[in-house]
Amino acid sequence: MNALVECSGLAAGYGGAPVIHDVSFAAGAGETVVVLGPNGGGKTTLFRALLGEIEPMAGRAQLRDRTAYVAQADRTSLDFPVSALDVALMGALAHGRWWLPPSRADRRSAAAALERVGLAAEAATRFGELSGGQRQRVLIARALVQDARILLLDEPLAGVDPASAEGIAALFGELSGDGRTLLVSSHDIESARRYERVLCMNRRQVAYGPPAETLTRAVLEQTYGSEIVVIDGSGDRVRALAVQHHDHEH
Amino acid sequence: MELVGSFLLDPLQSSIGRHALIEVTLLGALSGALGFWVVSYGLSYGAESLAHGLLPGLVGAALLGAPLIAGAFAGIVATAVLIALAARDRRVGPETATAVAVTGMLGLGVLMALAPATPQRLAELLFGNPLAVSGGDLAAAAALTLLGGAALFALQRPLAALAFDAAAAGSLGVRTGAVRVGLAVLLAVAVCVAVQGLGNLLALAALIAPPLAVRRHANSVGGAMTGGAAVGAVSGIAGIYVSYGLNVAAGAAVALALCAAAAIGALAPARARARATRLRPAPSPR
Amino acid sequence: MPSPLDLVDLPFLRTATIEVLLLAVAGGLLGAWIVLRRLAFFAHAVGGATFPGLVVADATGLRPIVAALAVALAYAGGVHRAGTRVGGRAADAVTGLLLVAALALGVILASDVYHSGARVDRLLFGTLLGLDGGDLAAAAAAAAIAAVATLLLGPAWLASGFDRAGARTLGAPVGLADALLLVLVAVAVVTALPAVGALLTTALFIVPAATARLLARSVPGLLATSVTVAALQGVVGVYVSLWADVPPGSAIAVLGAALYAVVALARAGVRQLDTA
Repeated sequence: MNALVECSGLAAGYGGAPVIHDVSFAAGAGETVVVLGPNGGGKTTLFRALLGEIEPMAGRAQLRDRTAYVAQADRTSLDFPVSALDVALMGALAHGRWWLPPSRADRRSAAAALERVGLAAEAATRFGELSGGQRQRVLIARALVQDARILLLDEPLAGVDPASAEGIAALFGELSGDGRTLLVSSHDIESARRYERVLCMNRRQVAYGPPAETLTRAVLEQTYGSEIVVIDGSGDRVRALAVQHHDHEH
Repeated sequence: MELVGSFLLDPLQSSIGRHALIEVTLLGALSGALGFWVVSYGLSYGAESLAHGLLPGLVGAALLGAPLIAGAFAGIVATAVLIALAARDRRVGPETATAVAVTGMLGLGVLMALAPATPQRLAELLFGNPLAVSGGDLAAAAALTLLGGAALFALQRPLAALAFDAAAAGSLGVRTGAVRVGLAVLLAVAVCVAVQGLGNLLALAALIAPPLAVRRHANSVGGAMTGGAAVGAVSGIAGIYVSYGLNVAAGAAVALALCAAAAIGALAPARARARATRLRPAPSPR
Repeated sequence: MPSPLDLVDLPFLRTATIEVLLLAVAGGLLGAWIVLRRLAFFAHAVGGATFPGLVVADATGLRPIVAALAVALAYAGGVHRAGTRVGGRAADAVTGLLLVAALALGVILASDVYHSGARVDRLLFGTLLGLDGGDLAAAAAAAAIAAVATLLLGPAWLASGFDRAGARTLGAPVGLADALLLVLVAVAVVTALPAVGALLTTALFIVPAATARLLARSVPGLLATSVTVAALQGVVGVYVSLWADVPPGSAIAVLGAALYAVVALARAGVRQLDTA
């Protein structure tokens, strides 16, 4: 398999002891991977190392194609005077001449991307006025305009109502059908079953593989420690919820 | 009617008045447009510190008979270097280090200006005098405004991408380090032009007042920049007219006109769309 | 060169020296808290904003400290109001703009309403002359209040923590102790205005404490060192001000910054030696 995303023996941190270590996995075109783990377990650090924002302390982290990073919208971006279309158009920076205004082709591409994520009607709406789910979809539209083959999504469904979350999950399926690779970090153990692969991390890689092999009691307990609530623990197939601690950094 | 006519024509009758009007239009437009980014990137304190700290450069230029813009630029560079050096010791936070550097530079500027053997133009350097702008100064300001404006136009897309979503900007191909440096250079240029007309204590108004006036009314990045430029230029012109009409200090009049514009813009009712954004409750936490 | 003994012999210099020593107490003590709690911008701005009040007092015979206090409190109130209405970055901008408005207003009052333009230097950068018993009393009161407050509220100020690090606005204060700190800083800064001027109060209120921060290893050590450095800077500054005929605020500021530089370089040098 030609891996588009690959880590081998990766260790990374911010100076001092590594936050994550012994991470080794690979994902090819069209594969969807969910990254599970407790807060502070290193999910964001992994993404940063993949994006090249921090240097690996050991091993390698590689992205072999155009990548889009979709993170949580913070307060400043909600105040910024941009419409949904403007945000989607930012994807065009990845190709073309950044010092000129966007071309007509770029605009068509952005409009088409918004259409594809179901937000054609909201193109002129200010980004900060959209709902959480709509904002995520706009950022995905930006990734489409970028024509990213790899998407790293940092907890895209947090704070999104269940109905919208369904729509976004369906969108993920479509993107993977395009042949794009998705890495999605998440707190939701149940919905992790829909992905092709699960990467369980708690500062180190606990497991990587199909949901049937990784969403087992043993693996989940190793990953979440005491932060897990088991609902139905018959045999190896558990149903569980992860207890979330909210960061209060704004 | 004649009174209104003569009021409007008054500053235009002399070359001093005409120069002043052109000067404030230039500095108002450049700083007004750039100001949107100064506020978006949280650079207000930094801009103020650089403006206050550059005083020794201004005084040095005045003593040497050199152009004030050059002195301002030297002062900014020196202040920036000193702030960086002062902040290197981890025990002292960047805010305190900046205060130490700026205090030292301000004191030094005053010493240089008021030690008996030197001419005493301190008040003019501190508070500006658009009426003292020479043809050469004006040409320099025009050139810098043109260059700065062009650079701003070219950089607006990367600036917007970085301001909107710093985490993703890198993956969009934005060279974040270079963009931040570009913004810092533009800030230095705008401060130099603004200091010529407003002095180093009041120059900040040209950078901060227009974006505050425009922020609740702008619907796009381009609109915020153009609106800011317009507010800056119009306020500057209004200030000159007030100065002529009421016979008050020109630099201070322009500064107060800018502040008034900010107050009016901040208090004026926003359009329905923008209002809806304010009333919407904070987005649900993660 | 004037003799250093002039500082003790000549009456007006004696007053100035005592004034500066008294200010060093409040400046050193409160300065330590300003540095620990990251209030540098507030301290600088609240001093500068009093300028229009000083101009009015100078022209109308009002007690400068009273006028300055009124303006300082109005400024602090305005900043607080703005901080609660707009987001963080815009609030910083509003704080800076309010300071500019105050300075511009002062200029117009001085040059065009009261025609006292020549005395602006004194109001902005301080003076050795014209300091009287009232100023001494105010400085002494500020010193006493600063000392008592440090004893009583110091632990609370430390405990409030650094979670508002970098906050330069007066958004909802974290508690009574914090609000009191801001008020005390404003009041103490106002008493320093006659000697060091509206724009250079930081010369006594931040720079000595910053230098002390580089040297001290404990909070009591920081407080003591801060006052000592401020006193030293102040007295030498008065002497330099006399010798070079420059406003005392500027002399103290340059001395203080130079001392900080020396200490910082020495520390860096020591660190280099340690790691070599």
